[in-house]
Amino acid sequence: MSEPHAGQRVYRHSITARVTHWLWALAMLVLFMSGLQIFNAAPYLDASDKSDPTHRVLSFEAHQAADGKQVGTTTIFGHTFTTTNVLGYTDDGQGGETERAFPGWITLPATQDLADGRTWHFFFGWVLVLSLMTYLIAGMVRKDLRELILRPSDLPKLLPMQLYYFRLRKEPPPHGTYNPLQKAAYTVVLFVFFPLIILTGLALSPGIDAITNPLVWVLGGRQFARTWHFVLMALFFGYFLTHMVLVFSTGAWNNIKSMFTGWYQLKDHDGVGI
Amino acid sequence: MKRRLFVASLSASGLVACGPVKDQLTTSLHPLLDSVQGLNHALIGTRGMAHLYKESDIDKIYRVNGLDTPSDTRYADAARDDWRGYRLPVVGLVDRPATYTLAELRAMPQVVEITRHDCVEGWSVIGKFGGVPLATVIAMAQPQHSARYVIFHCFDKDESGTEYYESLDLHQAAHPQTLLALDLNGKPIDPDHGAPVRLRIPTQLGYKSAKWVRQIELAAAFPANSNGGYWEDQGYEWYGGI
Repeated sequence: MSEPHAGQRVYRHSITARVTHWLWALAMLVLFMSGLQIFNAAPYLDASDKSDPTHRVLSFEAHQAADGKQVGTTTIFGHTFTTTNVLGYTDDGQGGETERAFPGWITLPATQDLADGRTWHFFFGWVLVLSLMTYLIAGMVRKDLRELILRPSDLPKLLPMQLYYFRLRKEPPPHGTYNPLQKAAYTVVLFVFFPLIILTGLALSPGIDAITNPLVWVLGGRQFARTWHFVLMALFFGYFLTHMVLVFSTGAWNNIKSMFTGWYQLKDHDGVGI
Repeated sequence: MKRRLFVASLSASGLVACGPVKDQLTTSLHPLLDSVQGLNHALIGTRGMAHLYKESDIDKIYRVNGLDTPSDTRYADAARDDWRGYRLPVVGLVDRPATYTLAELRAMPQVVEITRHDCVEGWSVIGKFGGVPLATVIAMAQPQHSARYVIFHCFDKDESGTEYYESLDLHQAAHPQTLLALDLNGKPIDPDHGAPVRLRIPTQLGYKSAKWVRQIELAAAFPANSNGGYWEDQGYEWYGGI
């Protein structure tokens, strides 16, 4: 067998990896949109157990200005910003504007409806958990999961890879299927972000709190758990943007096609055959 | 290829942003989306105990939410002369139907618990509730084998005249922290918080803790065309533990 080289087509993503990737991509989109719908019902976050305005870290409000116009505001750690038409006073999902934290164009459903938002959220919570578990179990059985887990031997390669991304280095450090920065990102997302966003969500349920009081306690209380759940959503959003930038800047068609067919064409930046 | 991707991502974002499509999809998929409710109820259920707080954790103001405090003559009659007009009937599929006065409820063994009220909207408040374990009243009524649900009929009505009601299954009703609450923060419950008798179930969301309880009924099923409660009929889950 010859060494892998740029231009070669390799079978990279198993059928389970491809199906579960798109399933949880859909689940994360629905959870994001329905989560913002649910958030709108109490548009503030506290760093405390019970609700406590003295521990408020984020809030969205609306008020009427002196000229009679409605103003939407966003307050982060006590600093207030005017965010009219976007946050606080914004799209009601039915063509008008109203007092509302996140706009109708980003929530699911569009019209303010907490019950429907919860219905979406709890169904796709299961889609996420089951697809994630399927992916992890299949990845362990097939042993291809180990290709994307960051190992101590990858640590010295993190900086050279970052320099390559910044174009301060001509070639990426030699690596396996995934480069060390990809492995770092995937490892954190799979084993830190996903478990934490699921656990912080579960902590909001009074039934689960009764079963396992310590879960809510370690998160700092119920309102704090709600805040962490929101923070993790924001981290996932950041991850998603990074994921998109990299998918589109490193051969969009090849990348996207490989997540449907499994076949990927090796490129120079893959650090092989150099 | 780039153009194809551009068109695809544009139509995807169009779908995300399109309000009527999202709302229509919500209606169409509702039966499917609702299918996990039974699973959530079976897995989480009513196990364990709600966390008990200290006196110092109690909120000075217990947030008021829900329908307006009843103001009709039926409620006013019950409130007359320090609630001497109030009666709580326990009826339905029971061998020993009974009707209690407030004094009789107060004469039963009382439980006091400081617990957190988790509202479905996302906020929480801590209060001290005192009252009779619901299990005591249910056991005295001796439910028949066919009884599955405890239905709470309430005094409050919305603007359209629809009465508030709630329901628990017998297992949830028998949980030791489920109370027919008579006191809030050491005083008889005031009208805005559900006087004279309200349900308090700290293992579930706030809407399950019906205020202004007027009658307790044991039944084999929910009433016709009912999902088991006022908010349940507006689309909220019957199982309020999540």
